[in-house]
Amino acid sequence: MIPNSAMPDGAAHLRARALADLMVLDTPEEQAFDDLVFVAAKACAVPIALITLLDTERQWFKARFGLDVCETEIGQSVCQIDIDRADLLEIVDLTIDGRTKANPLVTGDRHFRAYAGAPLVLRSGIVVGRLCVIDTIPRPQGLSEMEKGMLQALARLASENLELRRIAHSSERMTAFQTALVEIGETIRDSRDTEQMAFATAGIVGRVLVADRAGFASVDEAVEAIEVETDWTAPGTVSIAGRHRLDAYGDLREPLAHGEPLVVWDALADQRTLHNLQSAMRIGVRSLVNMPVRENGKTVAVFFVHSAHPRSWPAEEIAFLRSAADRLEAGVAQQRVEQQQRIVNGEIAHRLKNTLTMVQAIANQTLRQVTDREAVYAFERRLIALSAAHDALLDLNWTQADLRTVASTVLDTVGFADRFTMNGPPVALRPQAALSFSLIVHELLTNACKYGALSNDDGGVSLTWRIVESGVDDDLLVIRWHESGGPPVTAPARRGFGSKLISIGLVGTGGVSLRYERSGFSADLQASLRSLARA
Amino acid sequence: MIKPVVLVVEDEPLVRLFATDMIEEAGFEVLQAPNATEAMATMEDRRDIRVVFTDVDMPGGINGIRLAACIRARWPAVQIIVTSGRPWPPNEPIPENVPFFPKPYRQDRVLDAVKRMAA
Repeated sequence: MIPNSAMPDGAAHLRARALADLMVLDTPEEQAFDDLVFVAAKACAVPIALITLLDTERQWFKARFGLDVCETEIGQSVCQIDIDRADLLEIVDLTIDGRTKANPLVTGDRHFRAYAGAPLVLRSGIVVGRLCVIDTIPRPQGLSEMEKGMLQALARLASENLELRRIAHSSERMTAFQTALVEIGETIRDSRDTEQMAFATAGIVGRVLVADRAGFASVDEAVEAIEVETDWTAPGTVSIAGRHRLDAYGDLREPLAHGEPLVVWDALADQRTLHNLQSAMRIGVRSLVNMPVRENGKTVAVFFVHSAHPRSWPAEEIAFLRSAADRLEAGVAQQRVEQQQRIVNGEIAHRLKNTLTMVQAIANQTLRQVTDREAVYAFERRLIALSAAHDALLDLNWTQADLRTVASTVLDTVGFADRFTMNGPPVALRPQAALSFSLIVHELLTNACKYGALSNDDGGVSLTWRIVESGVDDDLLVIRWHESGGPPVTAPARRGFGSKLISIGLVGTGGVSLRYERSGFSADLQASLRSLARA
Repeated sequence: MIKPVVLVVEDEPLVRLFATDMIEEAGFEVLQAPNATEAMATMEDRRDIRVVFTDVDMPGGINGIRLAACIRARWPAVQIIVTSGRPWPPNEPIPENVPFFPKPYRQDRVLDAVKRMAA
């Protein structure tokens, strides 16, 4: 045989990769292929017909008629002869041909005598095997032109089927990837911190790709080392959390630095990793993808997926990994911004508190001579109620505060929590309404302590609120303060600053009604949700 | 009659003055320190201090929480009250029997604590 070898290794390499891409090796029998070999055998009037796929170390039969083994080692393969010529191969007497006369399938019990095989050519032009027919008696005249034509047509059908099968499979994969991406989005949204985010995403990616390890690592400035915080691993696979020098694993830095995915489908066959196999083997990596994550044109992190076996990483897997890595990076960046915002908000709140404390100090010094100490204390407590409302707002990043939280924090500054009940749905108050509400609650509490239900030993206050649908789109928030069990109530003769503060209402436009019923004081506060949203 | 001694540790002079006045008016002798280092020096000098009322954020590297821990270790009998414009740091354990008052604080509540702890 004259080896057809512009690049024999290269062609074998491409074939093995294309085969891996087809995801057909070692799959169960399928009717479509079985039918093809049956028709081939009958069309050529032979006892044996096979769809043979040529892997690097074996030939494997996707379909077989008249043969009881599903693979042989590659050395015994007749199909591989002249495979890269992509042409029909016919050997009319295998016992005479120099390339086959010593083949155990010919010399042994199998008694192969005549062979004809048409190539399985993919759309890419790569030949992955043959559809062949075999006779156990020599066929000196060979196949007729009609038989050859049919064999070649059936081989084309088989190739087409391999591709269609692959497309059907990959569309299933795409659906799985889409579902995984949705899951990743939800996970990222629900994660408390970036580490949890990265770990959960790695888990989803690892499982859907059936990988052995997946994780997110930061990359240092010079793209020399990566730092893995946590990684997801399949059972039995070790974690590689920690710092790793990229050079220790081969020539991996270049694509990473340029923001290109690094795909090694077999570390044993890849020039970039071939000379550093020990490191890869130590952590059980035979195949990997490093998907760079970029920020301002620089690689700042990498999402990696490892497999203990060679694998082809088809384009849709790479695309999926890119999407997953992008989502994770966006989530991490978002969280970083929020963290920064929380720090800034905390700092602002701290300064505000210190300023309020200084106001308190100045007021105390300024009002030292004032004999009405009650007025001084009232001032101080209003200041503190205002400060408490700021705490409630800070909890939600100064965009809003929950009504119940505002009431509770004010209540904390006054006391009497044990004689106070609250009931109502969650209601978000904008900052202005939250501050007003805190001052109103404070005044109502102060009055209750002085004259109302909290001035004796057994009165109580209930605070309830609800949203009332008004038919049009402008619903009302209705808050009711109701005292009971206190001393008999009389309306005050004079309106102090406290009552004025209360009557301003939630959004500065009133909506307050006070009722001095004998059994207990009550107050209704109303505001439309629309005006609250603007406040 | 000897008045019980309280040490006020606060870097902001105006707030320190306010706290000092408040506690003095309640019948205590008040010493002042603008930071933790001076507070420790005062503690060395005056073994009759019963209560330390300290801010958390102060210049000089040692904050009020660390100061409280140092005092707790060296003078276990001295009572400590902490105040701050920030919430108590979430990753720091709150030491036992150390009341914490967020700023601005209610004078009556701080004074109640001082009186109770000096007794």
